[in-house]
Amino acid sequence: MNEQDEALKQVLQRAAPGPTDCELKRDLWPEMRQRLDRPPVQISWGDWALAAALLLCLLLFPESIPAVLYLL
Amino acid sequence: MVEAELERFTLGDIQAFETLFQEYQGEVYGWIIRIVHDSGTAEDLTIETFWRIYRARARFDPCRPFGAWARRIATNLALEHLSRRRRERPLDSSPIGAPGTGTPDPAIRADVYSKVLAAFDELPAKLRVTARLAMIEERPYAEIADALGISTNGVKSRVFRAIRRLRKSLEKRGVRP
Repeated sequence: MNEQDEALKQVLQRAAPGPTDCELKRDLWPEMRQRLDRPPVQISWGDWALAAALLLCLLLFPESIPAVLYLL
Repeated sequence: MVEAELERFTLGDIQAFETLFQEYQGEVYGWIIRIVHDSGTAEDLTIETFWRIYRARARFDPCRPFGAWARRIATNLALEHLSRRRRERPLDSSPIGAPGTGTPDPAIRADVYSKVLAAFDELPAKLRVTARLAMIEERPYAEIADALGISTNGVKSRVFRAIRRLRKSLEKRGVRP
């Protein structure tokens, strides 16, 4: 870094100082545990069937696409 | 951390994961807060980092350092966060007084600092993070390179580009640091 860059660095350090405290204040494990215990999102067979039916409709009747998009 | 424990973690042992979490949560949090400058966000991203670590456990090689791997995942997450939220809000947004900067009037100094901050916030997230770690936090280039998954020369190049852009942007704002 040349002198000019060094000056910019100094200004930057004063304008956007780093956090004064980087210490973690509490244990995050309980939240992590909750996250691990959360059941994964599951898509039911009914939802898959509905999506497949919609896709089939759109393929068979492409003119309905604007109407479906409008309703969405 | 014993290699056997890391091995157990890769096999999905939750106790081994907890041990790792307890050992590295502070380090990961400390790294993230240097990038995002917000304690709440840093906590959320720390949990998200470990969640991704847990999901990717099978891909982890127990012979490699866990801390470096965690830091890389954390950096990617922090980058994603900064890219989503263009404007960064520092913990301490008021500029620190700078004795001896050659600008005696505090009002002028505050104006210059706010322009510098605005110019810095305009940088693309990748350049901003690299410049923040290298120029503000003064972390070693090798450490930054490892966390970003790029070479040391890549870091140097990003810092160079960040400085060039900053200087251009500041000149437009009438500031010549």
